[in-house]
Amino acid sequence: MSKLTSFLRERLPVDRAKLRELTNEPVPHHLKHGWFCLGGTPAYRFVVMIVTGILLAFYYEATPTRAWESVRTISEDVAYGWFLRSIHRWAATLMVAAVVLHQMRIFFTDAYRRPRELNWLIGMGLLHCTLGAGFTGYSLVYEQLSYWGATVAANLTDNVPWIGALLRRLLLGGDEYNAHTLSRFFVLHGAILPVTMIGLIVLHVTLIRLHGIAELRFKADQNSAPRFFDFFPDHLLTELAIGLVLMLLLGVLASLFPVPIGPRVDPLLTPDVIKPEWFFYVAFRWLKLFSERAAFASLGAIVVVMAAWPFIDGFIRRRRPGSEASVFVGIVAVLAIVGLTVWEALVAH
Amino acid sequence: MTHDPTAAQVTLAPTVPARRSFFARLAGFAMFASLVASYGTFAVMAGRFLLPTHSRRKAWRRVAEIGSFQPATTRTVVAPSGERIVVARCAINGASTPATVTVDDFVALSSTCPHLGCQVTFEPQHQRFFCPCHNGTFAPDGRATGGPPFEAGQSLPRYPLDLRANLLYIEVPLDGVAG
Repeated sequence: MSKLTSFLRERLPVDRAKLRELTNEPVPHHLKHGWFCLGGTPAYRFVVMIVTGILLAFYYEATPTRAWESVRTISEDVAYGWFLRSIHRWAATLMVAAVVLHQMRIFFTDAYRRPRELNWLIGMGLLHCTLGAGFTGYSLVYEQLSYWGATVAANLTDNVPWIGALLRRLLLGGDEYNAHTLSRFFVLHGAILPVTMIGLIVLHVTLIRLHGIAELRFKADQNSAPRFFDFFPDHLLTELAIGLVLMLLLGVLASLFPVPIGPRVDPLLTPDVIKPEWFFYVAFRWLKLFSERAAFASLGAIVVVMAAWPFIDGFIRRRRPGSEASVFVGIVAVLAIVGLTVWEALVAH
Repeated sequence: MTHDPTAAQVTLAPTVPARRSFFARLAGFAMFASLVASYGTFAVMAGRFLLPTHSRRKAWRRVAEIGSFQPATTRTVVAPSGERIVVARCAINGASTPATVTVDDFVALSSTCPHLGCQVTFEPQHQRFFCPCHNGTFAPDGRATGGPPFEAGQSLPRYPLDLRANLLYIEVPLDGVAG
């Protein structure tokens, strides 16, 4: 045993004390409460998505003639295909939910403020990659929603200033949805977006490590000294426990509500009732309220304000110290998001 | 960390002739330029590779001989892409002799919503076209009457028609993922 240890020591010249110091991050006391650990949840989902996604890719075929049929094969013929596909889909749903909740918790506990503005920006990047992966994901199934969602999205990109038409052609691989479109979505979904996300997650975690987790004090311990606990093994055990709960939840959801497969694409008929996935309900309802340009410009402006919020908030608080603007803006934003989502969910058109 | 050539130059200056440092700098510049040129070429090739080459192909098809196409009737054309296109001859002018018929007497409305490209359906009970994606509505003649297309002033597009030697032609798309 000691021979093997010394063999490995020589080949992996790592100073164990340094490694421990480097990785054993002091964790603020508030993370003892599970609901502050929402950041790890999407990361956990992400791993689940990668594993199930690689498995699904063994059977999926990204061509208009075979895509729907291959998804049907996965769901109905391949052993445990229905389960793995359902896990993939439910993990996606819960990942988007966890990302949004994580962002809300960061927002309302002011954890995005100086000096952590850059990490908020990286988080915004991850949010968009997550939504992009969700969108390209349901485009691959090649059911009616896949086609019409892609068509609407491609036409929307036309509104991007200067490069809109080029983006649209690059996304579709032509002027309209055509035989090359699906493989482009597949490459985006299975290669470009996940690799980008891995890079962003590494940056995200590195910055958290460099700054330390933003400490949060409750009213009761406002005056006490900051309290920390060890990452190893305390926080790791918390995360493992959360991971177990998440896996159980996924297993139960996938078993009780296996993901169905909708009608195959018909480019000549838009279904009478058509809606995107729930996480796009906000944008979908917004598009119905205004003309195309107005809706797109306002959505773009909202995203820019969201991304720049740490800097806008800093500016406001320099001008008016003690301002509660961020709380007010946050509440309005949450109410608007929930309101528009519920509205879209309740009506057919 | 990148190597700082100026630092090396300062320490070497007293012993190395200026000529040699000039050539060293030239070599450095050439190396850098080649790197940019080769990776740049690759980037251009990759970009060109990803950019689609063909636009959607279109062609003119014959619809009917206008003598047999009575006013206030319609003909259905099925495009090679699978689209079913209804061509209507208007009744408004009352022109029935082929000599006075113009291409403007015919209409072929597209069923593709000008807002974001969904397919509209005709609702006979409301006498309107309805787009299920974002609630756009159109009058039977294609004018937008509600929803985002109305706010943006977009009507249903029309297929190009042409009248040559008493024959009516329509320009239709050849490619599509339907069928």
